[in-house]
Amino acid sequence: MNALPGLSLSAPQEAIPQAPVFRTQHLPAGSEYRFEVPFSQTLRIKLLSGTAELFGTELAPHSKDPYSFSGTKGAIYTWHGCVLELSGETESEYIAEETQMMSYANAHFALENVREKAKRIGQIGPRILVVGPENAGKTSVVKILTAYAIKAGRQPVVVNLDPRQGMLSLPGSFTATTFSSVVDVEEGWGSSPISGPSATPVKMPLVYHYGLASPEEGKLFKPLVTRMALAVTSRLEEDPEAKSSGCIIDTPGAISHGKGGMYENIHHIISEFSVNVLLVLGSERLYSDMSRKFSNRPSEEPVSVIKLDKSGGCVDRDESYMKQLRQSQIRAYFFGHGANTLSPHTHWEDYGSVTIFKIAEGSSKTNASFLPGDDDDVFPSATVPIYEKLTPSPMIQNCLLAVTNASPNDKQEAIRDSSIMGYLYVTDVEESKHKLKLLAPLSGRIPPNAMVMGSFPEDVAGLVGG
Amino acid sequence: MSLPSAEVAADFKDALQDLKVNSRPEISNLTIIAKENTEHAQAISRELENHIRTTRPEWKLPALYVLDSIVKNVGTPYTVYLGRNLYRTFMDAYSLMEVSTRKAMEGLLKTWKQPVPESMDTRPVFPADITRDIENALIKYRTVAIQQQALSQKQALQHAVPARPIPAVPWRETPTPPQNATRYTPSNDPRVRQPMPQQMPQQMPQQIPQQIPQPIPQSYGMQYPPPQTAQNQFQPRSDYEDRKPSVDLNKLNSDIDQLINSTKMQWASNPSDAGIPQKLKALFDLQTILKHQQLPPDQIRQIQEQVIQLTPAVAPPPSTAPTPMFPTPQQHAATPIQLPGTPFSLSQFLATAPPVPPPSTPASLPQMLRQSATPVQPFSMPMSMPPLYPPTMQPVPVPAESTPSLAQLLQQFRPPAPSAAPPLVPPAPPPVSLPHLISQPPTTLNSAGSADWLLAALKAQNLLPGSSATPSSMQTTPAQTPVSSLLPSRDLVDRPWSPSANALNDVELTTASITKRSRPNLIAKLYEALPNQCVTCGRRFESSPKGKEMKARHMDWHFKVKDPDVAKRGVHRSWYINEREWIEFREQDDAAPTQPANGTTENPGVIGVTKRETKDQYIHVPTNASLVQAPCPICQEKFEPQWLVEANDFVWMDAIKVNDKIYHATCWEEYSRGGGAVEGGRSTPDSVLGKRKAEGHELDPPRVKMW
Repeated sequence: MNALPGLSLSAPQEAIPQAPVFRTQHLPAGSEYRFEVPFSQTLRIKLLSGTAELFGTELAPHSKDPYSFSGTKGAIYTWHGCVLELSGETESEYIAEETQMMSYANAHFALENVREKAKRIGQIGPRILVVGPENAGKTSVVKILTAYAIKAGRQPVVVNLDPRQGMLSLPGSFTATTFSSVVDVEEGWGSSPISGPSATPVKMPLVYHYGLASPEEGKLFKPLVTRMALAVTSRLEEDPEAKSSGCIIDTPGAISHGKGGMYENIHHIISEFSVNVLLVLGSERLYSDMSRKFSNRPSEEPVSVIKLDKSGGCVDRDESYMKQLRQSQIRAYFFGHGANTLSPHTHWEDYGSVTIFKIAEGSSKTNASFLPGDDDDVFPSATVPIYEKLTPSPMIQNCLLAVTNASPNDKQEAIRDSSIMGYLYVTDVEESKHKLKLLAPLSGRIPPNAMVMGSFPEDVAGLVGG
Repeated sequence: MSLPSAEVAADFKDALQDLKVNSRPEISNLTIIAKENTEHAQAISRELENHIRTTRPEWKLPALYVLDSIVKNVGTPYTVYLGRNLYRTFMDAYSLMEVSTRKAMEGLLKTWKQPVPESMDTRPVFPADITRDIENALIKYRTVAIQQQALSQKQALQHAVPARPIPAVPWRETPTPPQNATRYTPSNDPRVRQPMPQQMPQQMPQQIPQQIPQPIPQSYGMQYPPPQTAQNQFQPRSDYEDRKPSVDLNKLNSDIDQLINSTKMQWASNPSDAGIPQKLKALFDLQTILKHQQLPPDQIRQIQEQVIQLTPAVAPPPSTAPTPMFPTPQQHAATPIQLPGTPFSLSQFLATAPPVPPPSTPASLPQMLRQSATPVQPFSMPMSMPPLYPPTMQPVPVPAESTPSLAQLLQQFRPPAPSAAPPLVPPAPPPVSLPHLISQPPTTLNSAGSADWLLAALKAQNLLPGSSATPSSMQTTPAQTPVSSLLPSRDLVDRPWSPSANALNDVELTTASITKRSRPNLIAKLYEALPNQCVTCGRRFESSPKGKEMKARHMDWHFKVKDPDVAKRGVHRSWYINEREWIEFREQDDAAPTQPANGTTENPGVIGVTKRETKDQYIHVPTNASLVQAPCPICQEKFEPQWLVEANDFVWMDAIKVNDKIYHATCWEEYSRGGGAVEGGRSTPDSVLGKRKAEGHELDPPRVKMW
């Protein structure tokens, strides 16, 4: 210190906020700006002129506030060329001239023809299943097709069967949602209903709890798919707007691996949802297997098997990124995303007032692949319990509990097949007092329904304070 | 929003460290930082807790006021994060405080047990279990403190030595702060006190009655603001009080030298000021003392602080004059936050938007059109229309239809913002003569309406945006696409679903058809066919009258959801709906007409009815005496009878009878919607979002299997 503090005449430096550095990015028509932003950084994007879309959803022109992205790997495509204003740091960014957008758009227009025909004759529109290995861009294609369909005035039902990432809910859940309004640009798919207004219309998901990381483990996947297909088909039958639009199903990469040429789960989804359009992304072998299997089915409605190339922009998402993504989805469920701040509520509950089920060890160990020939035996026999009751212990601290719509006394199958009301987070367990501290999305009594704890997503340490 | 947590937290910390007094602007400033960075709430909360824990005792209170302001004005997630350690944060600070500030802290605690003032949320600021723990600890504390104080006073009287704190008493347990051992020497020394004669009156009344157990607040910066600069309201950024000044005699001496010099100069320039010679003399005295006497370090430190304090007052540096604030005496209950700006300021907007298109194209189409199409409208008006959609506007202003639509169209003329202008001026679009355009068949567009079809046609041709708004982009795509889309299609009948996009959609559902050919003309269906774009969210509408109507409703919707009071209300995520509700749920488009869309289902817009009439619901004043006396079980307020002409009776307005109990209709609605009851909690969103709830199933969610 060379001077007494306060006597220095120079203005304090640290108080001046760093002015963000804006850079302008010109995108020629038909090119794509690809970016990866880590969770620790924020990229802000503003559309200055031209048109631009993020996975099919158009960016607003002249928007006052830029779009901000954090923990995002995305691409902004332009059909007409555009000028973007960027600020903030990225992990990587580049302009790509070669994209698959034209074929994705063509797929949309082909589907539009099918939808139009369905509307004329009063049938259910196309049931589209998107399959492919991990990181082939399945969810991106689903998003693009959804966004274009919305633009064309459709209301497709979008189904997510990938537990690795949630759609309008937490990872580990399966959701079905009818999309009629613009998909949120910043927040993945948007937000499920909240108690106040939101700048992007909220979406209304139907949520089931899966609770495992992969569809290949356990015996829950098929029954849940069956249950979900029933709900979706009923909606498609009853909702005239959704009917002609059909549904789009996103899947986890794991079901496309095809151990020994078997694609049991794909087969199951196709038959349950009566899929008639199968989009195969980024795998020749899978395409060949699929077209052999489904193109010529004499007894049933033929499935149009279409091969789409993987976009060059697909990047591998490593486990640490996926984990961060899951955590941010969980945080957003309770606390909101961006400027939409939510107020979760803390409850103290006695051990006795909650009934927690956990997926039974035996059930998850009995892998379907060990039992040849149980293809059609989707419901486990009554002798093997699906769930076991769990006594609260400090072990469940930081875990998520899915609140089902089933009562604790219902049959285990009913609990398994029940859609859920939402999630609770176990903040604290006081062993001595036999009390649980639970973070719930809203205040009011915690429903006395059956709760299910899964092994996925993993514990979230430090969701509250730390 | 733009910065990672660590950076935001560091900024917040810096700002916190400048906070030494209860300064309202600074506290609200910090609150705004917290509010704008709710996604970093965890880091900010940690920073705030750390600061409260580590900062000097006399600066803890302002920091606690920041905490208070944040939890009251921002609420969650801060209440959750800060609530977790609140007991420790509060009690640690409390134990180090002096008696007067403890009072203020107790006042704070009291407000935390109540709901936020003016909030619709009836829950207390912090959950009761947190505040109760603190409360209990405080009661214990006070009991001990009273005993200790009694003891120390007794001892003080016995010894009749007021000048020293009793060493036997641990200082923490008394309100006496730690470094007061030497405070009497300077204050008893008249020569030291002299430099600040004008501050004496402030200090004296406090000190005399206080006698022993009361400490002198150590922060002179807080106690003795130089009156010369007191009217200057901003807080200096200087951090002199932040670090403990090291005891450096040489430095101090040179500083005093400097001070003397500057005072001399001041005197020279302003000889009539009688205060300056006095000050000068005091400084000389101080210098003499320092040079000839050995003073204990604490005293030197105090002198140092005073010198620092005095320096800017005597010789104010050009830019930053330290102007400590007086501590605000009254309870700081809820700092009103100046929200960052009203949604939109017309004048600001007009100021930033260049009013005239570039003069380089003197006879540009937009200008011509503007002259012909909007003779009465000032150019600036339409530009501001969409974001500013007046609240008084009817949902579907049919008579005023032409104005907003024209406005929306003209909006496309808006030149890019100055900063947004690309460095290169693009070549002008290929000149298209107006007659040529007119000679083209108006195709599917309405030819009867004035210049509308022309505008639409021009837009479809990419000429309007190309000429002024979108310079580089549009020219890159050759003009053949829109032209083809303008031509009347041969088989229009086959595609009634997209009346304005006439390109033939020949894509078949085969790999070859989808991946082998590019069809740029089809893309027009996604863009040019829907030229009427919402600037807020990017949604596109047709340019037909129907499209305009939809867009007007859509803009109304945007306006409706822009609610500045959302934060106060404590928005939370709702439970998901169950299977049956989902199957029966129908998406409602914000741009769709409100009436017909829902007519098909068996629930004819239940919410719309209740929402509008909740307040107007009434019941006849009951005759049963117990019911007459009973208040609303939810808000505990009594009902006021009033005469209603329609009913020809005395009624209770805003009342509803449920299960033999009478509630305020609005209370009941909020209760049943806001998750007060389990069943009611599973509500679908507010009608503000254009959603309905399946009321029929709400009270008894079906558990039966549906299939």
